[in-house]
Amino acid sequence: MAGVFLFRHTCAQECNGAFTGRVLDKGNQPLIGAAIMLSNSQKGTITDASGNFHFDRLCKGVYSVKVQYLGYETLEFKITVDGAVSRILHLKEDIRQLQEVVVEDELQHIEHAHNLATLNAKQLAESAGKSLGESLKEIPGVNTIQTGPGIFKPVIHGVHSQRVLILNHGIRQEGQQWGAEHAPEIDPFIASDVSVIKDASSIKYGTDAIGGVIVVNPAPLPEGAGIGGSLNMIGQSNGRSGTVSGMMEGGLKNLEGWGWRVQGTAKRSGDFHTPSYSLTNTGIKGLNFSASAGYHNQRFGFEVFFSHFNSELGILKGTSIGNQNDLEEAMERSIPLYTSSFSYTIGEPRQEVEHNLLKLSAHVKTKRGEIRLQYGFQNNQRKEFDLRIGDLSNTPELNLLLNTHTIEAEWETVRSEKWSVSTGATGMFQQNRKVDGTQRVPFIPDFNNISAGLFGVTKVYLNQWTIDVGARYDYKYYSVAGYDYKNSLFQSTLQFNNVSATAGATVGIKQNGTLNLNISSAWRPPHVAELYSVGTHQSAAANEYGFLLNDSTNEVHDIDDVSFKTEQALKFVGTYQHRWTKFTLEMTPYVNYIYNYIYLRPTGISQNVRGTYAYFRYTQTDALFLGADISGVWRVHPFVKVTPKVSLLRASDARNDDYLVFIPSNWYEIAIRYDRPTLGTLKNFFIESKTRYVSRQNRTPRVVTVKEINDAMDEGSDPFENDDSNFDFMEAPSGYVLWNAAAGVSIKGEKTQYDFRIGAENILNTTYREYTNRFRYYADDLGSNFIISVKCIF
Amino acid sequence: MFVLFAFGCEVEAPIREDVPELITQVTLTFTPAVGDPVVVTATDPDGEGVQDVQVDGDINLEAMKTYNLSLTLTNGLAAPSDPEYDVTEEVEEEGHEHLFYFSWTNDVFSDPSGDGNLDSRSDPINYDDEDVNGLPLGLQTTWTTAAAASGDFRVVLKHQPELKSATSESTVGETDLDITFTVNVE
Repeated sequence: MAGVFLFRHTCAQECNGAFTGRVLDKGNQPLIGAAIMLSNSQKGTITDASGNFHFDRLCKGVYSVKVQYLGYETLEFKITVDGAVSRILHLKEDIRQLQEVVVEDELQHIEHAHNLATLNAKQLAESAGKSLGESLKEIPGVNTIQTGPGIFKPVIHGVHSQRVLILNHGIRQEGQQWGAEHAPEIDPFIASDVSVIKDASSIKYGTDAIGGVIVVNPAPLPEGAGIGGSLNMIGQSNGRSGTVSGMMEGGLKNLEGWGWRVQGTAKRSGDFHTPSYSLTNTGIKGLNFSASAGYHNQRFGFEVFFSHFNSELGILKGTSIGNQNDLEEAMERSIPLYTSSFSYTIGEPRQEVEHNLLKLSAHVKTKRGEIRLQYGFQNNQRKEFDLRIGDLSNTPELNLLLNTHTIEAEWETVRSEKWSVSTGATGMFQQNRKVDGTQRVPFIPDFNNISAGLFGVTKVYLNQWTIDVGARYDYKYYSVAGYDYKNSLFQSTLQFNNVSATAGATVGIKQNGTLNLNISSAWRPPHVAELYSVGTHQSAAANEYGFLLNDSTNEVHDIDDVSFKTEQALKFVGTYQHRWTKFTLEMTPYVNYIYNYIYLRPTGISQNVRGTYAYFRYTQTDALFLGADISGVWRVHPFVKVTPKVSLLRASDARNDDYLVFIPSNWYEIAIRYDRPTLGTLKNFFIESKTRYVSRQNRTPRVVTVKEINDAMDEGSDPFENDDSNFDFMEAPSGYVLWNAAAGVSIKGEKTQYDFRIGAENILNTTYREYTNRFRYYADDLGSNFIISVKCIF
Repeated sequence: MFVLFAFGCEVEAPIREDVPELITQVTLTFTPAVGDPVVVTATDPDGEGVQDVQVDGDINLEAMKTYNLSLTLTNGLAAPSDPEYDVTEEVEEEGHEHLFYFSWTNDVFSDPSGDGNLDSRSDPINYDDEDVNGLPLGLQTTWTTAAAASGDFRVVLKHQPELKSATSESTVGETDLDITFTVNVE
């Protein structure tokens, strides 16, 4: 089942080592009959009545240990045997969906989370070639805001962008997240697993986690000698894309505890296509690499990590809009303008994004607890190119450089067997600068941002209960300098501070049930883009104005002169899991009430020499998100499992009794999978069929078509004069069903393993449009796609 | 690219960008063979801001008379000494990607006749200039008025990179300019 296979060179001469220990649950009760396997020595045993186990006559070397017990998460780790080694192993109750193998060591960043879902190494391998955001769509409760086939922005329980925190290798991802067409700058191949925390409990990482947290975890660095690695090649028919990703890792001979890893991915894709036409200018180019090295022993460890992300993305040419009439034309066309045959060429409009991350981390175990320190430097550059006049198409209309330094310190103490406390401090210094020469009034101003936070979290084990409580204080300072619509300078300073709090509990109910409850209050300081944006933004066909711009003159206000309140969320999430012999069901209902929710509200029609535009202003309201994520695993047969998943959400503008736009609709999925771990000489054979029904979004604001706006303008009236409620330019598209299938097999050699996989998406070549795809106004979604991938592990 | 900035709390004022694409003023100059030219200007006071475009008056032309129409595009938010002040030149240089379309109501012109080429490219317009490919541009045009009447006169500038042809319609490309004036033929 597991995706981790390690082949290490072990010395044959010394085989007098021993590995002993006990397997216990969270309450330190022994687990009887737990299976323990040493995967590379073919040895296995079962714990006795006291939870004890014993291996002897082990050769010196590194072993992969796997501990399994029904109803508990499988524990996997590596151990160096040199003489006698003893360990106490704690197994966690399986509160996770799908009961897949998860490496406990890797969940270091999310120990206080109660409601989470994970894509493990195997699931990630099956979505290899997709972007991070797209891979996460597998998880109920997670959707995406999409800008065409290449840009996927994760949405957790209906919220996204500034309201979702992404932790990459433990560092808060800081890019230009404010834009709905700005995808996270992370290569999914660097992750060994990705978790989504659906409650706001992880207050260790600062503000903004109103919707949840996405945790991108690397595999732990190797600690023993020997070299291993993998090479992954993926080809896809839609977009005629190719992806190559390679990884090598190892330890150092005679320097136990030292480990290193290098990794890189290259991707090239041309124009994607719908069932009937090509989506011209939707190609992708990507080149990413990372390197890490570190040292670990029982007492302390440190690590250096560097990653570079580079991507160039074309945006469907038919979305280039000059004014409202162009928009009307573009929406009414059955096939987008500029549509031509397949090409790898990426022209305007397009994006170029680069992201560099340097991380230094260290931890040390002392008598008074464990201390962890972490520093991160992120350098992000985003360029956006549009069709422009005056020979400016090669000049980006948006060119921003964002440098972020983050520093974190945490001290965790285990006060008793049943009580632990963790306290810490975080700091961030961030600078956003426009790169001169865009020859356009900058869309967002330059700014410096200084943030600081203090937190404390405590965890208590009481009989069946695990309870945690935490609180956090944050302060944020902005110094802002930009240009207004007249291209004249404005400068300002802003300060925000607030408190977040969380309380959660996990309890086992009888033998087969687990209940998690969490209530948390999180806040979010506004982003500069929400306060000061001015002008049109790539393929948006609308002017956007920040909260601090005067309604009629557009002059920039001081924040003290307007009634601005920081966004504050109160979120309740519960997860109940019940395990029957052959069926596991998990339900996660949630309520998220966001006070002073900031969003772009359609406000009116403005005119310049290019014609008329609908314009949108950042406004505040109260928003309510209600939903439930449901998933189940039914083992029909030892080799066959049926996995239903349901994602339900309803969102509303509670203050104005209205609906919000771009809220993901409900979806229902059923997967049937046949798995054979061993089939003759073949390993890990599977064949899977997955059918997803995405229903039509019926909770939408009113529709005001571009034609209606234009007709009203022609008659000299303003369609928003008497009714400024939310609207959308088009009716929500119909619901649709997509059918995907995949099959795979592994061939294991002496030292290498080959994983082969074929897949097909949208097999029936269904024509559809997705409500949360910003291209739905202009073009159909993707037609069928065939995938072939080969992974070699050595 | 790694660029490090000096640490400091206060952000320094960034360098002001030139904005050569911003058109805030469109001047229509109707010049007859004999007599004073008729000049009408449409001004957008705030560029990307919310205020509407203002036109300083109607186009008052004499009946049965021929005029040369010359269009001037300027960026009023820049100083007249700035190179970015004159946008006409930019459009001229990129003539092979640009085309002006015209439309009018109530048959105010006898030549060209009809209602203009905004709805159908093949309708007549008397273009007096060409791009590098020999296709019309429309910064210079000729107009002969009909009998006394009043109507609308709409000027649309389209940006049609790689799409401009002898038959490209006004629905093609991105709109750089779209203003409607009132024309009175007396």
